[in-house]
Amino acid sequence: MKQFAKWLSTTFLSVLIQRHNSWVIPTIQTIHIVGIGVVLGSVLMIDLRVLGWAGMDQTLRQTTTRFGPWLTAALYVQLATGVLMVIGEPVRELVTFSFWLKMFFVGVGTLFAAIFQITLRKHERKWEETLVNRGSIKWLAVFTLLIWVCIIILGRLIAYDHVWGSWSPATKA
Amino acid sequence: MDIVAFLKSLEASGIATRIRDSLWLFPLIESTHVIGLALVFGTIVIIDLRLLGIASTQRSFKRVASDILKWTWAAFALTALTGTLMFITNALVYYHNFFFRTKMLLLVLSGINMVIFELTAGRTIHNWDKASSAPSAGKAVAAASLVMWISIIVMGRLIGFTTTRAAVLAPPPAGVNFDDFLQGTPEKSGGTTPVHPDKK
Repeated sequence: MKQFAKWLSTTFLSVLIQRHNSWVIPTIQTIHIVGIGVVLGSVLMIDLRVLGWAGMDQTLRQTTTRFGPWLTAALYVQLATGVLMVIGEPVRELVTFSFWLKMFFVGVGTLFAAIFQITLRKHERKWEETLVNRGSIKWLAVFTLLIWVCIIILGRLIAYDHVWGSWSPATKA
Repeated sequence: MDIVAFLKSLEASGIATRIRDSLWLFPLIESTHVIGLALVFGTIVIIDLRLLGIASTQRSFKRVASDILKWTWAAFALTALTGTLMFITNALVYYHNFFFRTKMLLLVLSGINMVIFELTAGRTIHNWDKASSAPSAGKAVAAASLVMWISIIVMGRLIGFTTTRAAVLAPPPAGVNFDDFLQGTPEKSGGTTPVHPDKK
């Protein structure tokens, strides 16, 4: 991975980003933070609706129609800006424990969001009438929100990967 | 007491020292700050888009606001608390930092923006509550709010690039990292991070 990261840092796009480092990286990071704001806001509103704490004048479907597309769009923005950051600073990103754990959580979080939106579309009545009232589904909503919270923490910890001690590949250098 | 002496006393306080001496605390406080700001921004966007007539237009403004604003305020309290904790670890440096000052100014402006809303469109909500967008004063406030909050995020990020934390300047002290939570892990090799993590 370290070799791959080093190779990546010699590619054209990476060199281009590095050359304009002073403003490109902060700009991409800012877009990434704005994006996670939209992601977390959208997930929060859908989860609060599942929990029955907000949007109770709306059906689950209406809530998801409102926030689902914003969540999906924001996730694409996160992917694009995330890829650019990896290309711009491959060693800083890829040679960390936090990054890979974060990617695992991103996979789980995205999978949950996709399964929820697809099954809601297919079994709308079942979701509205029974599933949404189930305790296990409500716990799943809390769990989903926590996944995104962990993603944010791990994202920030990429900059402080040494907190993981020997788990961090960076400290083995 | 003058401001410099006050800031120095903040830096010397027990809690600031505790955060500086810990490998974990500052990163965790900063992460919590990001969680809080993501919630503040994510929820404010929902309100602003409703005012602008872009999203949630079929719901009354009052309903949208009453669902959301309590979460915005709770998240704002979280960012204010974590922001203060980060500030006291290196108060003088932040105080003199251009981006920090600009960020504080923008926060004040966004507060004033909110007051302007209450004094204008906020007074006539009953007239446009169910309309798909707010009157032009409300739209102007919403647009200004979006610009200001994005600018606040920009400033926040730039503070990280232009300030250096004393604790990070020194190599991380041995035996205070994740290994200590796991029993029987052999001696770690003790990394060196002589520069601010954001500066690589």
